[in-house]
Amino acid sequence: MAGKAGKQSRPRKAEKDEEEQPLLQAVLVADSFNRRFFPISKDQPRALLPLANVSMIDYTLEFLTSTGVQETFVFCCWMSSKIKEHLQKSKWCRPTSPNVVHVITSDLYRSLGDVLRDVDAKALVRSDFLLVYGDVVSNIDVSQALQEHRQRRKMEKNISVMTMIFKESPPGHKTRCEDDDIIVAMDSKSKRILHYQRAQALKKLHFPMNIFHSGSDEFEIRFDLLDCHISICSPQVSIRLYETQNQILGNQIHMHVTKDGYGACVSNLLMYDTVSSDTIRRWVYPITPEANFADQEGQSCTHSRHNVYREPGVSLGHGSQMEENVLIGRNTMIGANCTISNTVIGANCVIGDNVTLDRAYIWNRVHIANDVKVKQSVICDNVEVKHGVVLNEQCVLAYNVVVGPDITLQEGTVLSMHHPDEEDDEDEDEFLSDDDVGHSKDKTKQKGSLFNPAEVGSEGKGYRWKTSSLDDTEEDELAECIWGLALNPDPESDSESEVSEGSHDLGSHPASPELDDVKVFQNEVHGTLQRGLDENISCDNLVLEINSLKYAYNISLKEVMQILIRVVLEFPFHQQGAQISTAQYSSHLLPLLKKWAPVFKNYVKRPQDQLDCLASMEEVFLERETHWAALVKVLMSMYQLEILEEEGIMSWFRQSTTTDKSQQLRRNQGLLKFIQWIEEAEESSEGDE
Amino acid sequence: MLHQFWVDLLQDLPRFTETLVKMPGADKETDLSERIESFLSELKRCGSGAGSLRGSAETARETTALLRRITAQARWSNAGDLMEIIRKEGRRMTAAQPSETTVGNMVRRVLKIIREEYARSRGSTEEADQQESLHKLLTSGGSSEDNFRQHFAHLKANIIEAINELLTELEGTTDNISMQALEHIHSNEVIMTIGRSRTVEAFLKDAARKRKFHVMVAECAPFCQGHEMATSLSKEDIETTVIPDAAIFAVMSRVNKVIIGTQTVLANGGLRAVNGTHTLALAAKHHSTPLIVCAPMFKLSPQFPNEEDTFHKFVSPHEVLPFTEGEILSKVNAHCPLFDYVPPELITLFISNIGGNAPSYIYRLMSELYHPEDHEL
Repeated sequence: MAGKAGKQSRPRKAEKDEEEQPLLQAVLVADSFNRRFFPISKDQPRALLPLANVSMIDYTLEFLTSTGVQETFVFCCWMSSKIKEHLQKSKWCRPTSPNVVHVITSDLYRSLGDVLRDVDAKALVRSDFLLVYGDVVSNIDVSQALQEHRQRRKMEKNISVMTMIFKESPPGHKTRCEDDDIIVAMDSKSKRILHYQRAQALKKLHFPMNIFHSGSDEFEIRFDLLDCHISICSPQVSIRLYETQNQILGNQIHMHVTKDGYGACVSNLLMYDTVSSDTIRRWVYPITPEANFADQEGQSCTHSRHNVYREPGVSLGHGSQMEENVLIGRNTMIGANCTISNTVIGANCVIGDNVTLDRAYIWNRVHIANDVKVKQSVICDNVEVKHGVVLNEQCVLAYNVVVGPDITLQEGTVLSMHHPDEEDDEDEDEFLSDDDVGHSKDKTKQKGSLFNPAEVGSEGKGYRWKTSSLDDTEEDELAECIWGLALNPDPESDSESEVSEGSHDLGSHPASPELDDVKVFQNEVHGTLQRGLDENISCDNLVLEINSLKYAYNISLKEVMQILIRVVLEFPFHQQGAQISTAQYSSHLLPLLKKWAPVFKNYVKRPQDQLDCLASMEEVFLERETHWAALVKVLMSMYQLEILEEEGIMSWFRQSTTTDKSQQLRRNQGLLKFIQWIEEAEESSEGDE
Repeated sequence: MLHQFWVDLLQDLPRFTETLVKMPGADKETDLSERIESFLSELKRCGSGAGSLRGSAETARETTALLRRITAQARWSNAGDLMEIIRKEGRRMTAAQPSETTVGNMVRRVLKIIREEYARSRGSTEEADQQESLHKLLTSGGSSEDNFRQHFAHLKANIIEAINELLTELEGTTDNISMQALEHIHSNEVIMTIGRSRTVEAFLKDAARKRKFHVMVAECAPFCQGHEMATSLSKEDIETTVIPDAAIFAVMSRVNKVIIGTQTVLANGGLRAVNGTHTLALAAKHHSTPLIVCAPMFKLSPQFPNEEDTFHKFVSPHEVLPFTEGEILSKVNAHCPLFDYVPPELITLFISNIGGNAPSYIYRLMSELYHPEDHEL
């Protein structure tokens, strides 16, 4: 871990405040832990992607600095060296910066939980801190929220651990991406969040009843909020991750809704589009392009009517028009008779004659030849677009691609110099950086396989990422993600099919939060256990891992248990393939159960937990009829390991079941014997007394 | 043992004293640049809303105090060096918030002070130095900076003294202006004003101590600073009416005098004032109502209205069309400019801290305040 020791001198500015208020610190996570921006983020980390010609991380740092943050810890993982280099060159690392920036890198961070744990392990924060991602663009003044947060913590003895900041924006707002639609149930008096759920394309929403019994008599359920991904956390957030007790449930998360200010998180390209245009339309004032807040040399631009911004050295050919909301970077040359609207063009680009650009985001050093039409697309650094190319909506040309001449790219085409297949080799370390190895690998590949002229034109270079063929489901998913779900023609069916892998009926998950989170969480738990097995990690540490994941994905304790059971029961299938026999299955599973017994014990404590645990076991086995025989063995060993108790098993067994299948399950020979045995054991133990 | 200790200490002593000597100087330097940085970033962020989070009087004072600090702490050996430093920092400060012209004005004032003090130290009269004639322009070589290379021991103290005088002058501007109130406001008059100007507020309050009059305040949407103004005036028992901006013309026929503040007085005698002022000025002209501008001298800028890039300031359109409006936002372009240009022919009189002047006299004030070579920083 290469921690950069920043200078220790403290800004003098707020000295008088300092006596009553401690130094305000922030944790900036410069990694999204997902691959939404692939293939673009393969060459450049997301935090460094230019938004209106300034790296996103600069917006975030500017936001933090202007709210009075005096010390920021930047955590990076993917391509950390690039981020570090960028920050060292930027104004944030100058000795005069009022906000001292420390860069902390590690390849081991796989989730927000890992980062928070590290924050705590290194004892970096001393009091309440701001937690943001490296792609937040905002000008919200958090001081009021901060004050509320501190007040609450004073009043309620540190029960409140987090205050999330939301921006009011009704449905249909363009800065709301369907992907990030959320529904929040809150206590209107205490502003406490009772339930937080991602609403993406769900027609039915479930709220656990218990949230309405929490003592307050006024509740609000709101759908008009935009999560700014800015939260004020107490140092306990990370400490609580260590606590393995149920007390986690006792923690409270509060919210602060702001009407003024602007805050959004660039979570996909659709958001990139809207946030860019909002920046150009000055919604984020005073963070505007002409303010040159990043203080870079030669970046100062002028602002003229209709939000046209020009950096120095721009040349515009005869008859070319910059209609509205246009930002053009320095030394860019634009030919004659071009029409440009709602567009950002980076530095040192060359654009030919008769080019039409609308909602185009063109980064640096791009060459565009004559007669090109671009609609709502992203064109990355060093791309060459040849004569007569037409880019339809939502195309992405990643770094160094060459397209054309005379080709029309379909809606949603993604081209990259990286071959999509190279993903398969690297599936193992999905989130780890593979920069060096990857590069050398795909160079050899590029030589091997030729570019398809039908995809990129006769002189083109690049591979098509989004394929319409259905067998490549994984890539399909990736490509859709890059523009967000709004593009997805039928998001509902899609998300449902995802769920169906987990359970047949949505109704069986009464309190399920965001679906994809549950799924991701499940994968993460699986990964954790796998690693635990491979590296022989002790159960205590596994519990810690799982708890931190729980935090990162906002999963309730009950679900953690359900998912844990599911993962463990399905573990042998993942290891050995789905076709293994029952005998093999149980012989694989039982040692695992024994090994992880402490983990289970940690989560299964009350009688209700046992019931839930059994119910989810039942659910898993219902899906796999052929392995019913193993259920008994599982129950037996769990009973022997003292995870489950007689009463629990008996009450589960006597539960009046609804479906035929589960009744069938209960009539299983082995199970009946087992129950009988338990009954006898119970009686005998009673007899002893 | 003890002996060894003393030897060690003696060996360390030079290094020790060295650090002692070095520390304050280095600290001063970083302290100075830190202050400059924080001032710059404050300028950049200031006015996220109405553009008047703090008055320009305060900005002027802060700028001057900072320039004084630079004069005192930066390394320079002669006036030429100092001017170079101040010009460099001045350029950065004005670039940080181009619409805040006060900053640039104060930089120019300080530059002028340096020139004067230098000239005095050399013994020549400042008048002779300042007189620009065609002959002089032709004969003098391009850079007059060469003349500022001489070193004078007392120059620093003199300059700081003069800057202190400037600061005292700045402290008193509002009082100086409001002292003249009784000459302009008579009993039972109807006065109209727009938005909120601290100078006008003080001016009216001063007059209200002796006379009874009625004030109409145009609310100045979308930020509605007029509401604040009206509350503040009515607390002083001034009869106040708030009117919407649209009613300015309708009410104008009853008004005896229009008294407004401004953000900047431009070199041609025009104004850059809060938006809505142009409407007000045109209505006043139509009804031949005198329009009086209360503007302290530090708002006088050598800028002309045709310098388009820095003239305007657009803020977040939130106040015009709230962000919560939803769907419609993607279909419209909303703009929220802050300033209006008021041409000089619509203005009757300027009241500054040194007295009343007609717009046509602005050029003269300009040449008294700033050296022609400093117009462009």
